[in-house]
Amino acid sequence: MAILEVQNVSTGYGEVQVLWDVSLRLEPGQVTALVGANGAGKTTLLRTIVGLLKPWQGKIFFEGEDVTRLPPHRKANMGLILVPEGRQLFTHMTVLENLEMGATPPRAREKFQENLELVFDMFPRLKERLHQKAGTMSGGERQMLAVARGLMGAPKVLMIDEMSLGLAPVLVLELYESLRKLREAGITVLLVEQNVHMALSIADYAYVLAEGRVELEGPSKEVARNPHVREAYLGI
Amino acid sequence: MDMGFLMASLIDGLLLGFVFGIAAIGLTLIFGVMEVINLAHGPVIALGMFTVYFAATLLGLHPYAGVGLSAVTGLLLGILIYAIAVQRVIGQPHLSSLLATYSVNMMIIGIGTAVFTASPRNIEFSLGSITLGPATIPVARIVAAVAALLAAVALYFFMQYTRWGKFIRAVTDNRDAAELVGIPSNKVLAFSFGLGTMLAMFSGGLIATLFPFTILEGGKYELKSFVISVLGGLGNPMGALVGGIIIGLIEGLVPVFLPTTWVLVVEFVLFVLILLVRPTGLFGGRAS
Repeated sequence: MAILEVQNVSTGYGEVQVLWDVSLRLEPGQVTALVGANGAGKTTLLRTIVGLLKPWQGKIFFEGEDVTRLPPHRKANMGLILVPEGRQLFTHMTVLENLEMGATPPRAREKFQENLELVFDMFPRLKERLHQKAGTMSGGERQMLAVARGLMGAPKVLMIDEMSLGLAPVLVLELYESLRKLREAGITVLLVEQNVHMALSIADYAYVLAEGRVELEGPSKEVARNPHVREAYLGI
Repeated sequence: MDMGFLMASLIDGLLLGFVFGIAAIGLTLIFGVMEVINLAHGPVIALGMFTVYFAATLLGLHPYAGVGLSAVTGLLLGILIYAIAVQRVIGQPHLSSLLATYSVNMMIIGIGTAVFTASPRNIEFSLGSITLGPATIPVARIVAAVAALLAAVALYFFMQYTRWGKFIRAVTDNRDAAELVGIPSNKVLAFSFGLGTMLAMFSGGLIATLFPFTILEGGKYELKSFVISVLGGLGNPMGALVGGIIIGLIEGLVPVFLPTTWVLVVEFVLFVLILLVRPTGLFGGRAS
């Protein structure tokens, strides 16, 4: 059974429709990539899944339960967690406070120490900056903190929006390395990326979103071999 | 110039400044968290005064017990006002929240005038005075200033170290992100509005131990709260405390040199100057 299922969702902002009849399934323990050009509706889909944006039509199921109308904090408490685009840290709060806030869900509070060690293990640099204000850190460090804050919430499903955007390639590799560790920890990951090559190389399954519709889906290796994808997104 | 008179005015102003400051902290806290300019702040301050008055006259409570009761009432009343009037205008243009809170203002003043009348009240209460060198200071003012200062310190520690204090800071910083980590932001906003109203009623309660008042008295302190908030940086609670002290000192000093009616003129000239020269306030506002 899929841990997260999006069924025929349509939505948009005001009068402008952005998503048309989008369906998506995440299998537990897998890394799924959601790729597509800028403006294809990837971020909109994530915002709709977590409840920052209401769907006009369609349903969203998490662990078999209909969560379509739940506010984001309820979904976070259930283990459906988004690491938003542009990091969206609590910039006036310290690194440690950001991590504490990440561990707000009751199920995450119980595992606070354990998860703290996990994220320090993954991002040793954060441990050195515990009492620094999040807003004063470099772009790469902020991205690490955003992912770490997401992990502190003890996610069952972790959705990461544009992790590689604006980061140095070395850092991107480092973060992807961390993602592999996540998969080993049994966390289901939905990765949203403009860096299609990178995303397809790590994911098990992939969806290609174009102009608000699912254009193509399948195991990443197959998607990566698709002639249209190769031409349009991989530039081969 | 009589040095004793000058000293007494300075100390007097300084002490009052803490009390003004705590009211302004309430206003600036609410603005900082939800960007709502609370026009019901003044009437709520007046309700604080009346709570102490009726606690003393009807329940026979000591005025300082009344101040405590007033603070607790404020927390609950604030949450109620939020649920009824403010919740639905969060994230709307400022005009909506101005109108919503102004409506609450009119309701409290309307009902208050009908029930309590606009005649002045006074709490029969004196702790005497102490003499510091050339200055004679009423003890009640010292108590009020110390209580206000303690409340500000308690608020600081609450915001800095408790779970709900951190929730408030997180929602202030980024409401969407707070929701995404599992913080029930609507409850946090309701609680923050309660806290802001609590500080207003607490401050009103303290003022009632110092001066006579009517149901319309709050307007004066609301205006002061605005000046103080802008002075300290709108949305910056600790800036508001310092802003309160500055306004208190003006209040104390101006009457030494000019007729008392000039106090408001000086305060608002300062207000306009700050807006022109340093709109983020002396200590930086929410956006800084």
